[in-house]
Amino acid sequence: MARVFQVTAGSDRSGQRRPRPGVDNGVDARARRSGIVAGYLAPHPPHLVYAENPPQNEPRSTGGWEVLRWGYEELRRRLRRHRPDVLVVHAPHWITMVGHHVNCVPNPRGISVEPIFPHLFRYHYDFHTDVELAEAIVAEAGASGLVTSALREDGVRVDYATIGALHLANPGWDIPVVSLSANNNPYFYSDASLEEMETLGAATARAIERTGRRAVLLASNSLSHLHWDVEPELPEDMSAEHPFSHAQYAGDMALLQTVREGPTARLQAAIPEHIAATQSETKAGSLTWLLAAMGWPPIAGDVLAYGTVIATGNAVIEWVAQ
Amino acid sequence: MSERAVAAALVPGMPQLLAADPAPCWAELAAATREVGDRLRALHVDTVLLLSTQWFTVLGHQVQCDARLRGTRTDENWYRYDYGRLAHDLAVDVELAHAWADAIDAAGMQARRTRYDGFPIDTGTVTASRLLDPDGRGRWAMVSCNLYADPSAMGAVARAGVAAAGHRRVAVVAVSGLSSGLIPRWITPAEDRFENTEHDRWNRKVLDAIRAGDDVGPLTADYARAAQVDAQFRAHAFLTGSGTATGPGEVLAYGPVWGTGAAVVWWPADGRRA
Repeated sequence: MARVFQVTAGSDRSGQRRPRPGVDNGVDARARRSGIVAGYLAPHPPHLVYAENPPQNEPRSTGGWEVLRWGYEELRRRLRRHRPDVLVVHAPHWITMVGHHVNCVPNPRGISVEPIFPHLFRYHYDFHTDVELAEAIVAEAGASGLVTSALREDGVRVDYATIGALHLANPGWDIPVVSLSANNNPYFYSDASLEEMETLGAATARAIERTGRRAVLLASNSLSHLHWDVEPELPEDMSAEHPFSHAQYAGDMALLQTVREGPTARLQAAIPEHIAATQSETKAGSLTWLLAAMGWPPIAGDVLAYGTVIATGNAVIEWVAQ
Repeated sequence: MSERAVAAALVPGMPQLLAADPAPCWAELAAATREVGDRLRALHVDTVLLLSTQWFTVLGHQVQCDARLRGTRTDENWYRYDYGRLAHDLAVDVELAHAWADAIDAAGMQARRTRYDGFPIDTGTVTASRLLDPDGRGRWAMVSCNLYADPSAMGAVARAGVAAAGHRRVAVVAVSGLSSGLIPRWITPAEDRFENTEHDRWNRKVLDAIRAGDDVGPLTADYARAAQVDAQFRAHAFLTGSGTATGPGEVLAYGPVWGTGAAVVWWPADGRRA
């Protein structure tokens, strides 16, 4: 049987702290304003795109990982209600060894054949960058003392973590994008400086305010990150899908409980503890960047879904700005 | 069946080695890598079994099965530099690639045959191949570096490659750095150095052991932690697993590339220096 896990979307306690979707968290009940209106933990396993069979992706599947994809369906509904001008995504697989890079290419397009999962992800992308905001983030980050770079050269392949989060959040690609890199070395011995991610988050928020954008942020991170090193013959064979270990699962649940209870300030301590316990992909810094950009708001997050992908933990979570 | 490769080598994969205006150390490392290429040609190598730690994967062991890899690699970090945009044209020994994949499967591991239009060739492979084979006449068999399998698995992968080579004269080359403590700033070539002296010390300690023909295996775990070694020094597991890099190695060059450790090391099959 498929062992895919889901927690109820929010607790009674957190429910009292969360704005009610469609009532007081969107433009329905509030004047349209600029700034960051919401943030989502938006994990990017290519399996989720593969399972959906979108026309942009060449491989075909028979499905799989449905609970996580249902979570993304709910994310899409909520995202439309926020009516953002731009989606700003921080992704751990645009790995930049020197500095924090921002994609300033106006119209990235091409095919992204993923070197790790080429059998699952060969995605034809064609999207538009909010260049003014991208350049503003580079400027604000640089002014904050961060090492930065503006990518203006065509030909750099857009990575699957950027595409995955953006596709899963907005498969129509009808909202402009700003894409940020993860400043670290690949894998085992690298940790992004979470302190730098605080700075990058604050710089991102200032750039959004300065340009008057109404933005939604996407942190393209999985949670617990130990996983299998082989794959079943049928990648979407859900009988092979379960947490890597109970400890990894328990670590994810502890973090999600903190998310659901709020306030987000508690996550400043919980995220590093979770990384230490589970090798969480949040060590790439995307989640810290997101919450720092939102100013660590005194609210709970809404866990829309949780599930494993090749044993890694993945949660779709919404935080709505107050 | 071939039992041993005719030579083995460790070469760097940082693209700075192809800079038009290189730091002296980058130029020395590039010249040493070209020297390795000259030696391979002198040994009449048919096919190079190549591992690049910059082609890192997490599921199984991917073997490149596309006959011709032509294109331009624009590096996601170094795109602003002349060495950040590199053309490549590599001929793959497809028969050996498939045999290698079969041998990996037969050894109880999971091979993944990779043949996709537009597959991105990593910067390490492009950099090393241009220096080793500047005229583009060589043939390659390439395998990925699985970062989630135990490092010793790369030794078994190399053994499978050598066993699969049959009548061919093959050499085994790993494209990898040593310590990975990158200088986290934009620098000029003249500013390159080891900022972490402990990394430099560990690199030299391990290279001294290689020169002496000592077994580096017992050092590897401590070295990997202390110097944040590229891919936990899976390159060394690959080279020794091939059965060739077991005697004294000749260190042709060593130095920093953007603060990381880089070395060119040569092992002849008969244990004698070239």
